[in-house]
Amino acid sequence: MSRLLPDKISKILFIVTAILMSVNLYVIFAVTPMVPEQHWAQKIFYVHVPIAWTGFLSYFIVMLAGIIFLVKKDSKWDRVGLAAAELGTMFVVLVLITGPIWATPIWGKPWIWEPRLTTTLILFLTYVGYFMLRKFGGHAERVARLAAVLGILAFINVPLIFYSVKLWTPQFQLHPQVEMNQQPDGILFPFLFSMFIFTLLYILMMRIRIQILNFKHKLLTEENV
Amino acid sequence: MLSVLIKKELFVELRNKEVVFSMLAFGTSVLLIFSFSFNGNPKTMHEIAPGLFWTLVLLSSSLGLHRMFGLEKDLDAFSSIIASPIDRSIIFLSKWISGFIFLSLTELLIVIPFFLFLGLSKPMSILPGLGIVMIGNLGIIAVGVLISGLGMRARMSAVLLPVLLFPLLTPLLISCVKSTAGWFHDNPFEFYQIWVMIMITYVVIFGLAGFTLFDQITEE
Repeated sequence: MSRLLPDKISKILFIVTAILMSVNLYVIFAVTPMVPEQHWAQKIFYVHVPIAWTGFLSYFIVMLAGIIFLVKKDSKWDRVGLAAAELGTMFVVLVLITGPIWATPIWGKPWIWEPRLTTTLILFLTYVGYFMLRKFGGHAERVARLAAVLGILAFINVPLIFYSVKLWTPQFQLHPQVEMNQQPDGILFPFLFSMFIFTLLYILMMRIRIQILNFKHKLLTEENV
Repeated sequence: MLSVLIKKELFVELRNKEVVFSMLAFGTSVLLIFSFSFNGNPKTMHEIAPGLFWTLVLLSSSLGLHRMFGLEKDLDAFSSIIASPIDRSIIFLSKWISGFIFLSLTELLIVIPFFLFLGLSKPMSILPGLGIVMIGNLGIIAVGVLISGLGMRARMSAVLLPVLLFPLLTPLLISCVKSTAGWFHDNPFEFYQIWVMIMITYVVIFGLAGFTLFDQITEE
């Protein structure tokens, strides 16, 4: 554990996140009010929305790291991009699992072509290709460049996917709209709290993953020397 | 320099006839499968025809795109091209334009059997449909050349191309199908112009992305 959390910031972050995440789960299940039409199904939104936010944030970081890597040619940014891509995909898979769990009792079926879910699915499929490219792309240095380009292409496609799917299926605008300022405090504050905790968790996971990738890089470099 | 590179692409294709013929042969086979699989009444066929057309184009183009870099990869001629003092963005433009010509030519040859085999009636006006198809082709080839270049030296490049290409093309495909349906059902242009706008936006964004990023893809 001390190798994964080598600095003081990571250790503090780990302890704070663990405590606050326990509080968050308690608040979600025991404190937040039941929404009359949705009952327990609504509780998943305190998890579903924050993981969707961290997933898309992660893919945004893949794009940013890709741009910086192509400009600076520093392999550190390739590892940041890879860590963000892995975590982003993990969070996006969770979105694709929790979305249908909520949708089944509310919409009566697990999947409809709702723009946000569809955009998430298409991004996920793009990143399946991203990892295939990383695996089969050939020389490590070239793969880093290609992956950076693909990360940029995947993210600039997001608004186009969202807008076209939204127009394609206007009848499927059933997703709860983000009018959180109209929500009672009993829902709004736990929701914002959960968003904050999941962002903290994401930062911690990113630090650990980058650390592991740095170790791996160091080992491979030493081996080659 | 651009015209020289386009001439080179066209000359190579004229000699080998690989890209257009492979797309045409594959497209006709898929069309045959469509004809047998969707043997519905004329009204149903009329409804689904735009979707079938773009599925056909997408499948055929993925095959052609794979071959666009295939020959240069086989003979390692691409290393010579990028070693020459040519701006790599110009190489992208030449591939984009030549790919567009190959795909348009294939569609021109396949559109008659498409209408014949599926028993479709001709729309009243041809011009809007032609415009939609041209913009769609530009979008498919812009992304296709980028992705084909990405996967050129990868193992399993034939698998990698469609896996990467199809999700990236989703917004374009939706817009192509919707605007083609609008034209095919003789709706006024205002009815489907938003879709054409999305297609143009897509072409501009990915055309610029290709022009800017192709240098990074081809770096040795």
